Amino acid sequence: MPGSFKTEAVVLRSIRFGEADRVLHLYTEERGRVGAIAKGVRRVRSRFGGRLEPLFRVRLILHEGRGDLCTVSAAETVHPHARLREHREGLDRGVQAADAVLRLFDAAEPNRPAYNLLCQELALLDHSPEAATRAQALAFRMKLMLAAGFAPELAGCATCGEVEAGGLFSPAAGGVVCSACEAGAFPLERPGQEFMVAALARPLAEAPTAADPALRQADRAIVETLEHHAHVRLRRVA
Amino acid sequence: MYAAPVSRLIAELSRLPGIGQRSAQRLAFHLLRASSEEAAALAEAIQEMKRTVGLCERCFNLAVGPLCRICEDPRRDDDTLCVVEEPSDVIPMERTNEFRGRYHVLGGALSPIDGVDPEDLRLEELFRRVEGGGVREVVVATNPTTTGEATALYIADSLRERAPSATVTRLASGLPVGADLEYADEVTLGKALRGRSSL
Repeated sequence: MPGSFKTEAVVLRSIRFGEADRVLHLYTEERGRVGAIAKGVRRVRSRFGGRLEPLFRVRLILHEGRGDLCTVSAAETVHPHARLREHREGLDRGVQAADAVLRLFDAAEPNRPAYNLLCQELALLDHSPEAATRAQALAFRMKLMLAAGFAPELAGCATCGEVEAGGLFSPAAGGVVCSACEAGAFPLERPGQEFMVAALARPLAEAPTAADPALRQADRAIVETLEHHAHVRLRRVA
Repeated sequence: MYAAPVSRLIAELSRLPGIGQRSAQRLAFHLLRASSEEAAALAEAIQEMKRTVGLCERCFNLAVGPLCRICEDPRRDDDTLCVVEEPSDVIPMERTNEFRGRYHVLGGALSPIDGVDPEDLRLEELFRRVEGGGVREVVVATNPTTTGEATALYIADSLRERAPSATVTRLASGLPVGADLEYADEVTLGKALRGRSSL
């Protein structure tokens, strides 16, 4: 229904459009994914300034017309994440987080845990640039999977429930599997599995660490599970 | 609704950036009313541009021939290189009359979300130019956007390793002349404050 509404949002992506406009992909607190057009935002004297750049957390007034895109009427900064933009690792991780939300949450329906998780991740990267590690990025993805309903089964065999399962991960089954159910599985050794369990259990700011081989295995488990069940292809976390 | 050639022209014009269906119709009817010479001059200008304009072999700016006008100019400073995203970014830099060095056009900005990685830009060519010696300062003039900042940080990190003798600088950020403080966003105002100068 046409009209205006207020919402808080994180700008995930911004695409040049027309002479001076941008099309924004927003993840909003109250409506999930929303597409919007910001008119004249690329002009130096635009009243929006840099507030509609990706990774800004903003409070918006959006006008909903008859088309697919809302129009941004007003924008106020909640958190600019200014420090994050000054460090290459922090900026790369922030963009990776936005990319994961962009691909995983494409419906116009709210998911408060996912929204809060993204806000926490960006605030953490902004506050502590040294937190921008591969392990931390993977821990964020694990929690995002949980928020999206795709958390892998790590306590027992995802196929038969055998408690002693371990050492193998099956993206199709959506978790670790025992040797009897190993079809299509790849190795996920104990350090990798423990990393994934701890990533789900601990707060983002206390993300676990692990050696590179364990992180590579966890990365593969996350990417292939999402590819199989959510039909989205995330880039590997380098 | 229209004769087939008019419909075709409207369809072609409406593919141009910033031109919608209605503007395309207006332009098509203007051309219909114009003399044959005027219409032919426009068609010839488009054809000539497509036939003759390419990219400079050295800096990837627009060029008629192997090198662009700026790379051919012996009065420009060889020791300062300004890095921009697109050929269209060279023009506003030249209009300032403040920069007398040479350019390097990347062909875009890093954007993993859009699948633009370092190998998709002319970054390796830039690093080889700077490594080749003679460049004292690299001015990174990518757009002050998230992708532009990511590209600037990537260039600074890479040149620190590959050409440590070159200084990498970034265009200053701040308030546009004539703007109101109350409309400035926090990042821009913060940068303007940090970059303040004594009067």
